[in-house]
Amino acid sequence: MNRVAVVGVGNTAFAARHADKTFPRLAYESVKAALEDAGAQKEDVESAVYAIYNDFFEHCAMPELHIHYLLGIARKPSVRITCGGATGGYAMRAAFAEVASGMHDVVMVVGVEKVGDMNTFDMIKSITYAGDPFFESQLGGSAAGSYSAPIRFHMERYGTTEEDIARVVVKNKGNARNNPDAQSPMEITVEDVMKSPMIIYPLKILDHCLSSEGAATVILASEEAAKRFKKPVWITGVGASTESGRQAERDDVGDSLFPAVKAAADRAYAMAGIKDPTEALQVAEVYDSFSGVEICLYEEFGFCPRGEGLRFLTDGGAAMGGSLPVNPSGGLIGGEHAIGATGVYQVAEVVRQIRGEAGARQVPDVKRGLTQSMGGARGAYSVSLVLEG
Amino acid sequence: MMADPRFDPGFEKDGVFILPDRWKIDYQCASGELSKFYKELKENARLMGTKCPSCGITYFWPRSWCHRCYEDCEWVEMSGKGVVPMFTRVEISLNDLQTEVPYIQGGVLLDGAAYPAISFIRGEFSEMENGMRVRAEFLPAEERTGRIRDFFFVPDK
Repeated sequence: MNRVAVVGVGNTAFAARHADKTFPRLAYESVKAALEDAGAQKEDVESAVYAIYNDFFEHCAMPELHIHYLLGIARKPSVRITCGGATGGYAMRAAFAEVASGMHDVVMVVGVEKVGDMNTFDMIKSITYAGDPFFESQLGGSAAGSYSAPIRFHMERYGTTEEDIARVVVKNKGNARNNPDAQSPMEITVEDVMKSPMIIYPLKILDHCLSSEGAATVILASEEAAKRFKKPVWITGVGASTESGRQAERDDVGDSLFPAVKAAADRAYAMAGIKDPTEALQVAEVYDSFSGVEICLYEEFGFCPRGEGLRFLTDGGAAMGGSLPVNPSGGLIGGEHAIGATGVYQVAEVVRQIRGEAGARQVPDVKRGLTQSMGGARGAYSVSLVLEG
Repeated sequence: MMADPRFDPGFEKDGVFILPDRWKIDYQCASGELSKFYKELKENARLMGTKCPSCGITYFWPRSWCHRCYEDCEWVEMSGKGVVPMFTRVEISLNDLQTEVPYIQGGVLLDGAAYPAISFIRGEFSEMENGMRVRAEFLPAEERTGRIRDFFFVPDK
């Protein structure tokens, strides 16, 4: 397998709605920024992978087709990945494979999402259309319902409270204040979260991820091609995992609350030669779809022992200035969740951290970082990447 | 007949021209090899699972083959009794299939089944606890449609 470098990153600002921009325009702006960042021309791009989650959001069943030609790369290959919240992660993996295999030297991953043309109710309903069509979807649920169960298990097993999970919101919306592209920078308290309306126990509205419009592009290059572009950041670990799309159907989980997340991270660590992630990693951008999820994820990633995710948070390990800051960008709760773009934007953010270009959200001396995105009922898909300077 | 927004006039808002639209798609979903589940539910208020003749695992929701053994499963009737390993309360309707809130949903692990199945639970939220035993109740025959909203679980005291 050939080495694969990230040589350019770019993204739009994120907002609940960019009414002044269509989805091809959002994609174009992120592509233009990434090409400029790499010092590359569109003619350098040999192949494109599109990360676009949901046809209902874009109001088009093949949105990628209506971007590709307008990016000026017609008759070059394109493919679209859609895997729920893991769309961006799986798109990164697909593009990685195109370069690692030697098939192409320069491949770009374009993640974009439009969502504000629908009302929020229809948006949530369209996400449930991804649920098991034969049984579970007939109930009429929501993504939050599937994620509340592992959070409830964490509360039950380890004594985690509603106030405790709200601390993730305080951290991530607070971090977003350092990110000029973030949608929801806020200085808030646990009490503010507790006072916001309950949606599905124990999740209040402020415990939920954002719904964003925006785009992110990452340009990958082979080792040889990377010499033509900006200082490379290497993708040294790629791990992915997919399991049942039903909410409670999981085989051999042990004490894991998100077994697909653990499987994907372990695979990425093995590929990158990481034995102890707390020693190897200096930053992580991960999928805080709901506040309490992030606490569970620390344990799946091995950032702390099983059952000590809450302590890792309250001791400040995941905070800016902590031993392993998690979601300096603000994550999905403070930064953005333009669903298909998220896993791509996470890579852009970790690349900036490794280059030392993360501005006010810069973590000192980042040599290696982790990304993770997941999708499907209760994290049925998960993809993790390890990036190194 | 509701107004069709596809013919509504476009309009300008904050400097952007807005065009109303709607996707409307109707289906006649063929239940295929799972047909017996829905037929028994609607016509006889029975919960049907499936069992692998090779490894003996019982599946509910039913599946027609065992993903472990790659053998075709056989239909078995479930007792309708089980335990609730986890539940939650939905406070705000997020789906037009669910207009009455709050409601409780949880995973119900039917006796003999390999996995919990997500279902409605009717009971007092504050009196419920993980691991509680429940039993299925069914809507009256004239109200059953063959969908899993035809049944719900109540505490089995």
